[in-house]
Amino acid sequence: MMPLRRWLRRLLTYPAVQGAGPFVLLVALWAVVVQLEIYPRTFFPGPQDVLRSFVNLVYKGVLPTYLQDSVTRLAVGAGAGICVGIPLGLLIGLHPASYRFFWPLIIFFQAIGDIAWLPILLIWFGFTLTTMTFVIVYTVIFPMIFNTALGVRTVPVEMIRAAQSLGASRWRVLVEVLLPGALPNVITGLRNGLGYGWRALIAAEIIVGTSGIGFMMFDARRSGSVVEMILGMILLGILWYVVDAWILRPAERATIERWGLVRQTP
Amino acid sequence: MTPRDPSGVVAAAPAASRPRAAARRLEAGLWFAAPLVLLVLVWAAVVRFYHVPLRVFPAPADVAGALLQQARSGALAGHSWHSLRRVLVGTTLAVASSIPLGIAISTNRHVAALFTPILRFFSVLAGIAWIPLATLWFGYGFGAITFIIFNAVFFIVLYNTILGVTSIPQVLRDAARSLGANRWQVLTEVLLPGALPNIVTGIRTGMGFAWRGLIAAEIIATNAGLGYMLFLARDFYRTEVIVLGMILIGAIWVLLDRLILAPIERRTIERWGLTRAVA
Repeated sequence: MMPLRRWLRRLLTYPAVQGAGPFVLLVALWAVVVQLEIYPRTFFPGPQDVLRSFVNLVYKGVLPTYLQDSVTRLAVGAGAGICVGIPLGLLIGLHPASYRFFWPLIIFFQAIGDIAWLPILLIWFGFTLTTMTFVIVYTVIFPMIFNTALGVRTVPVEMIRAAQSLGASRWRVLVEVLLPGALPNVITGLRNGLGYGWRALIAAEIIVGTSGIGFMMFDARRSGSVVEMILGMILLGILWYVVDAWILRPAERATIERWGLVRQTP
Repeated sequence: MTPRDPSGVVAAAPAASRPRAAARRLEAGLWFAAPLVLLVLVWAAVVRFYHVPLRVFPAPADVAGALLQQARSGALAGHSWHSLRRVLVGTTLAVASSIPLGIAISTNRHVAALFTPILRFFSVLAGIAWIPLATLWFGYGFGAITFIIFNAVFFIVLYNTILGVTSIPQVLRDAARSLGANRWQVLTEVLLPGALPNIVTGIRTGMGFAWRGLIAAEIIATNAGLGYMLFLARDFYRTEVIVLGMILIGAIWVLLDRLILAPIERRTIERWGLTRAVA
């Protein structure tokens, strides 16, 4: 009895077990509820049905293609957001006149939810890839600009003066004080932007409907296949988990620790 | 407050300078409005000089005309009311159920640890990803959309409540207990106020997602609401109605967020700061 308990306790210290354990329980619970047949099976399929559908769709090659489409779109959005959003955010944050001018515009355009752009984009570009790319790039860029500008503006002015009085040139102040100081906000912006962009992508795929996980789910809605809808949702969740755990969180940890250091200095 | 922004000093000044503060606020408001006004002027000029057809993009005058027409026919008030009512009902249900549940879960650390990964998973799915399933379960209409709003707010607020309660320093609870507080008093005087900043941030984020989810859901699954108005207008190439809808969606969200949610968030965080200082 004792070794088993010790073994269990050791097992629980692994992060993978801590993360996955609750999900194993959840899936077990799900399977039990389905076995009890409280809801008709067609409306509420079990884990084994979803798994079978997963294997089937992978075998047919539909799922990898759709997954690739969705991820590529998200990556394009993120890339554009970083390449355009950060420089614009820096400009707006550093230049008081452009801050005054652009700030209200940014707040306003950020508030026009990405999805609200879909109808007019459909008139301009039709049901094409351009529409989807526009929506996702739009969605990622505004939180990036917003947070980068905010980050640059909240760097304590003493730090800038300290660097200047030590003889730093404008360029070095930018690279060594303002950018690192703004980095935590930039990461927050990326997180918000991707979070919104992710949802916008799903909505765009549902409405524009050419390919992608969102399209698969809505196509399943049309044919009444709940299994594929649930499969799509699980895939979306896992995909975000991967993006979050492997990209966003490490970046966040690195920059916020750094920021902590910077904060303590004065 | 940032060192560059001396408004904290202004706010603390005696009542004698109140008119000046009002004047300053008016000035800030004008500065805020000026770029938007300029944007409208540029928009009008571009449409006029380049002869942009109405099918592609409307002039500001067209949008104003659409506003008058839609307001007079009552369609505008109807659609806005449908959208707002869904958001209110969904959010109220979600907040009312998630806060007690969150506190109940987080009173036991192991239960909280069990739930957190699952809740993170579901708060990522929140909103739009549920649209296909919700329409199948509830049919097209009020039920499905309210479910999506509920869903978007519920999991995020629940996650944040648990995060808030578990991040309250144990010292504070022990202090309250040792001063003779019973469980109920610990709940109302320590746990709830302590978790409040996280809860409010959760509500604000959740409503942000809910508002976007609402527009998407209305485009897909209903016959009333601002999202539906937009998509219906698309069928008839009525760009002026589309642009009007976009402006309204943006304006309603800015008002909701800046005038209601953001001040509440700021105030609760200030309160938390006080609690922190005491600890």
